[in-house]
Amino acid sequence: MTEKVMIDENIPSQLHFVPGFMARVIETLGVLELDEDTVFDLKLCLDEAIVNAIRHGNKENSELCVHVLVKQDKQDLILEVTDKGHGFDFSRIPDPTTEENIGKLHGRGVYLIQNAMDSVKFLNGGRTIRMVKSFKMKRGL
Amino acid sequence: MEIKLEKINDITLVVLNGELNMNNIYRVRETLKKILKEKKSKVLIDFDKVPFVDSSGIALLLEIVASFGKANHHICFCHVNKKILSVFEITKVHKLFNIFDSHEAALRSF
Repeated sequence: MTEKVMIDENIPSQLHFVPGFMARVIETLGVLELDEDTVFDLKLCLDEAIVNAIRHGNKENSELCVHVLVKQDKQDLILEVTDKGHGFDFSRIPDPTTEENIGKLHGRGVYLIQNAMDSVKFLNGGRTIRMVKSFKMKRGL
Repeated sequence: MEIKLEKINDITLVVLNGELNMNNIYRVRETLKKILKEKKSKVLIDFDKVPFVDSSGIALLLEIVASFGKANHHICFCHVNKKILSVFEITKVHKLFNIFDSHEAALRSF
């Protein structure tokens, strides 16, 4: 077992909790000395996944929490975000880059995640998104 | 998010300082709405001090660009960092934005 849990927290389903939580995650990941582009991608994807879980999964019900798990497995960071909603069929998400969708105001979060991460899986009927990003270590940890 | 407004001839320069995300887009929206209401028809948004944009930020920019276009006003962006630019390109919204490398290039476009 080489996985190391870096973050294991439940966030109430209120959007104002997200910035403070994200700041803590980025601070925690600081130990890995990631490059700026990797930090940007991790921040973008975790932020999008948590906001989706709060908005679409838990419908901003403050009595429900979103569970966030961040693990390091050698040179992979594994991010899992789980909500308590009804799940969804990710294969039915429209492509936001088609001519008719480019100008639409919403529907880019999952697309951005799929582009920025090395692997994305939806588990638990769509209630959990599991994202993996490989990174290079500046020095041995 | 700090927002500074400057004038360059008849152009309104909007200098943003901070992340453009779900939690602060409302301030940028209010500022741009006010500019639109005041019929200032040429606006340049400087992203030099914007390190991060999420999908809420993209939605706001699309909304602003559409509002300015509808009013026949001109809005463009400059100094967008390479990572944010790549997010615009991945989602292809860069096709709907006027983006320039410098103030000078943006100002020439008005």
